[in-house]
Amino acid sequence: MTATRTRGGAPKAGTSGTSGAAALAAARDLALLDDAEFGVRLLRATGLHPGRTDARLRSWARSAAAYGAGLPARTGTARIVESDGGLAHGLLARYTTRPPTVELFTDVLARAERLVDDLSWRAWFPPGSVREAALAHEAVHEQLHHGPGRAALRRALGHRLLSLGGRALYGHVAGAEEIAAHAHAQAVCSLGRSPLLLTAALDTVLDSATAGPPAGAAESGPAAAHNSPSPPASPLRRKK
Amino acid sequence: MGVLILLVMAAGVAAMLSRKIPTAFALVILGVIIAVIAGAPFKGENSITDTVLQTGASMLAATMIAIILGSWLGKLLDETGIAGTLVRKIVEFGGDQPVVVALGVLAVSTLVGTVTGSAPAAMLAGIIGIPAMIAVGIPKVTAAGTILMGIAAGMPFELPVWQFFSTALKLPVSDVRGYMIKLFPFALAAAILFVVIETRRRGAEHSWALKSATAKPPAADSRAAARRAQLGDARWYALLTPVVPLVLALGFKIAIIPSLLAGVIYAVITTTPPRDMSKRLLRTLYAGFEVAAAPIALFVSIGILLAAVQLPGSIDALRPLVKDVSPQNPVLFVVVFVVLVPLCLYRGPLNVYGLGAGIASVLISAGIYPPLAVLGLTASYNQVFGVADPTSTQTVWAAQYAGVTPQQVMARTLPYVWLVALGGFCVTAATYL
Ligand SMILES: [Zn+2]
Repeated sequence: MTATRTRGGAPKAGTSGTSGAAALAAARDLALLDDAEFGVRLLRATGLHPGRTDARLRSWARSAAAYGAGLPARTGTARIVESDGGLAHGLLARYTTRPPTVELFTDVLARAERLVDDLSWRAWFPPGSVREAALAHEAVHEQLHHGPGRAALRRALGHRLLSLGGRALYGHVAGAEEIAAHAHAQAVCSLGRSPLLLTAALDTVLDSATAGPPAGAAESGPAAAHNSPSPPASPLRRKK
Repeated sequence: MGVLILLVMAAGVAAMLSRKIPTAFALVILGVIIAVIAGAPFKGENSITDTVLQTGASMLAATMIAIILGSWLGKLLDETGIAGTLVRKIVEFGGDQPVVVALGVLAVSTLVGTVTGSAPAAMLAGIIGIPAMIAVGIPKVTAAGTILMGIAAGMPFELPVWQFFSTALKLPVSDVRGYMIKLFPFALAAAILFVVIETRRRGAEHSWALKSATAKPPAADSRAAARRAQLGDARWYALLTPVVPLVLALGFKIAIIPSLLAGVIYAVITTTPPRDMSKRLLRTLYAGFEVAAAPIALFVSIGILLAAVQLPGSIDALRPLVKDVSPQNPVLFVVVFVVLVPLCLYRGPLNVYGLGAGIASVLISAGIYPPLAVLGLTASYNQVFGVADPTSTQTVWAAQYAGVTPQQVMARTLPYVWLVALGGFCVTAATYL
């Protein structure tokens, strides 16, 4: 329907195997989903929102994204460390508070840049933008960890736990901070799409590269994966 | 002859350590070889077939039933959303502060740990608890450690464990209960210290993970997860389920199996409309068998090992050797056994769910220590083993689910559980020696 769906007409990547081509096509198809959908998936992936409707999660994802996009752009003060262990750990970047440090995983950043080319997503993610997005993203965690931002985010989401008279106690929504950080990165770095789309695409192609199952089997996935922010049986670890 | 038995035991430990043979099989083989060395006849009284294999296999039957009931109750806590609701409430109320969430999940793990043990307990608390902690910024090793420390804090009140110690050490349940009540404060204090100190030391951590936005829609999930999803939150009084068996066994001194059964009934009554009850009970019971399979296989083989080391020939052979090396002075007792703590790790010789059970049995039947002192030793080692052993299923599961290695979890938790063991040994030496 849209120009993005090019599965039929795209030139087949001659050298890579069928599963690689299929994964690339699957990654490309992810662009058909809107950015809020990735927010919903992120919230679902926390395992803390069962029994909540997609509509509810979608509204939370939108509110969190709006909150993040509206945060003032600030350069983080944390130390920046670069290393190449990202593929092994399944991480693109990480913020730790003690001491305040932003870790950038250069192998995954490089892979992300290559994927943007492979998928012809340059218009959305300009050269070098993934690294910038990672810095902007982690700066949000830094800001929220040390300021009143988390309470503001809770109010923005409006998940009421108790209310008494005019006052209300708003609950923490697991995953909202992450969505806000991604939306902030998207806004600050003027990305055409959410970094979550690129993250999901990366995961799709890396999954097929490590596990190498037939395209059909990749659909079902490991039973427990939905609950875990990292692979439970650690297929990544096994390859070492 | 005693030396030969010790050599065989060492070889067995080596086989388990190197993972050449699964523990359950290794213990059976050990049991048979020890019986042969001890000069047991093929059949008849005190024999290899009738005593070691036939009687030994069912020696821990009551423990196995308790394990099945605990696993059943665990499955109910999972399927009815009781465990998940507890964790979700904690995150909603305390999510801005990682340490509050970690302490809350620790409390849930402790409750769960009183109902069921090992990997099922870790999964029950951890499937939702570990991602919840990671989502609020708790580092992965701390998250996995929190689940394990929490379960271990509940372990002194884990009813199947009472049954195990009672049968294996031939002690009345009331004696086991009496010691466990003294051990519990150490386990709880260590668990709370672990969370408070480790969250301080390591701070918070937020990862841009590749898996973060790849959740499958509920339709693709397992059926149990889908059922849980439709259910939403469990009612507040259903959340009391984990304490029901505990109150009965601890407060009213009811026997272990009926206490656990009462928990099962309470869980289903408070969560399930009458027309669905029998279906849900049967389904979760069968699912409980599945998770109970590994511990039951282990308890069959431990029973066989126990029967072998309790043969008159084994006791006579081992008594002089064990007597020479076992400290009788209370201070020396504490020092020696604290130093030996690492021997309960990596399927080592003091692992209570392995060769350690056999050694404990020798200590009692050879009259080296009073049974209560041996209970103190084994229960204290159990606190270490239950958290820090990188080869035990709950540690492996929790670590891998959090995305770290079991060795990392061991390194982080061992100092704390070592202190628990020290406390347990001190109580033992002061009270029972
Ligand atoms: Zn983040």
